[in-house]
Amino acid sequence: MSRNKINISILIAIIFLGILLFFLNLFVGSVTIPFADLFNVFFGSEGNQTVSTIVFDYRLPQAVTALFAGAALSVAGLLMQTLFRNPLADPSMLGISSGAGLGVAITILLTGILGASALSTMGIWSNLGVSLAAFVGATLVLMLILGFSSRVRNMTTLIIIGLMVSYLAGSLTDIMKFFSMKEDIHAFVIWGMGSFSAVGTSKLMFFSTSIVIGLFASLLMSKNLNVILLGDLYAENLGVNVKRNNLFIILVSGYLTAIVTAYCGPIAFLGLAIPHLTRFIFKTSDHRILVPVVMLIGMVVSLLCNLVARMPGFEGNLPINAVTAFIGAPIVIWVILRKR
Amino acid sequence: MEVLRTKDLHIGYKDKAILPPINVSLDEGNLIALIGPNGAGKSTLFKTLTAHIKPISGSIELLGKELFEYSSKEKAMLIGLVLTERPDDMFLKVYDVVASGRCPYTNFFGKIEKEDENIIQESLEIVGINHLKDRYFNTLSDGEKQKVMIAKTLAQNTPIIFMDEPTAFIDYPSKIELFSLMKMLTKERNKTIIFSSHDLELLLRYTDDIWMISKGKELVSAKKDDLLESGILKEYFNLKEDIKI
Repeated sequence: MSRNKINISILIAIIFLGILLFFLNLFVGSVTIPFADLFNVFFGSEGNQTVSTIVFDYRLPQAVTALFAGAALSVAGLLMQTLFRNPLADPSMLGISSGAGLGVAITILLTGILGASALSTMGIWSNLGVSLAAFVGATLVLMLILGFSSRVRNMTTLIIIGLMVSYLAGSLTDIMKFFSMKEDIHAFVIWGMGSFSAVGTSKLMFFSTSIVIGLFASLLMSKNLNVILLGDLYAENLGVNVKRNNLFIILVSGYLTAIVTAYCGPIAFLGLAIPHLTRFIFKTSDHRILVPVVMLIGMVVSLLCNLVARMPGFEGNLPINAVTAFIGAPIVIWVILRKR
Repeated sequence: MEVLRTKDLHIGYKDKAILPPINVSLDEGNLIALIGPNGAGKSTLFKTLTAHIKPISGSIELLGKELFEYSSKEKAMLIGLVLTERPDDMFLKVYDVVASGRCPYTNFFGKIEKEDENIIQESLEIVGINHLKDRYFNTLSDGEKQKVMIAKTLAQNTPIIFMDEPTAFIDYPSKIELFSLMKMLTKERNKTIIFSSHDLELLLRYTDDIWMISKGKELVSAKKDDLLESGILKEYFNLKEDIKI
């Protein structure tokens, strides 16, 4: 069988696995919904009200959130890894998530001081505020990292700088939290553990649309992503405006990371593990294939993580970060060992 | 036909010229070697002539037009580049590296059309690496990698090609192979190739012209045959022994 045919078969298998996981996400949880009831909710006339509420108000939005967040983080990771030509690059490792956290912390503190009220009481503005703050925080850290990257040639140095920036942002976040209102600190801690359940029905449309815009933008970048794999000088010689291109990659990657981080908290490991897994399965570095497939596998693994976090017994309280690391870390180790 | 000419060109970084003004010209179909000790400014000269850094002053005319008046896409269709740094990616295929040479010609999504495919195929065959096209770039020897990068540059279809130390880190038989490939490209494909190299004995056998630079000295361009007979090589680099081939 040719490589292409193998890839297509794997792709079909992954899509089926994704569909299966999506439905499992709908009927596995603290309340297990029998398949017949689930079927009735979607297609039947006499739907059970409780089942309908659980499925439409909780599980469906959560599954859709997991889907988009998984795709977004994985693509953001792929963009970072290609940009830095470093397999360890990942939005969270470069301090981007910490930047988002700091943005959120500052916003929480400021609304506490200026508005004299807890951010969590401000309804729709609180969501917009948190998202915007996370986005601004993430982008600022990204710009800082990009500034450093033009100075240091060595990518290991840059990652160390990223880690330090990450610690710095974390430290500032802790200071902000110290001065914040109690209600918000609790909200911040919950936010920090990561969850796909916070988006909910009301914000789902906004969340999904924002992510789709970022995913679409990254699909348009495949050609230049392929060229910069050769190195900056080669890319420039082939007519690519490397500086502008790098800035665009960082913007899209930061945008995706920021939106997901804002709504779901800093979710680790998907961005690092999924691009590795995809490259390893499909044995290619062609971004015209990688970008869409990374999205797909990101969706599937994210659904899997959400399912595990929701398994009966965890009562929906297991932080998603515990699961992504548990699944992601072995993937990275396995892939790296198989390479050598 | 003249493809490149510099007038009072000052090169360097941050307004500090590292060499006296450079006045050279380059004819189509020639193979030119740039020689000189490390740190003399070979890389800076290459980066300036390939428009990666701006000259401090003076002009570079490419096919009768000022280099910086070309758009980056036009430049990509005129100047090809082979560097010592190499792509390093686990799953990068030889074919994909060569195909990236079509970048200035393909559409927004980088779609390889039939014509591009023919040119990629031809480039692989000219360099003699057709059998390697499905291999991963990382698994090749240094000499093979260098040929892939040359094939990429051929796919780019530029009249001028710059090569930065193409024969460094390569075993002797591969060096000879590369030199004769470069010579063939200039004579049979009418490419103009400028390369830097430290393999003096070898390059003297293949090149047409030689450009010499040395710290603070004026760039001297000379025909290979004149160079050997006049003893200028010995004098320019302050050598103790005669150079005979």
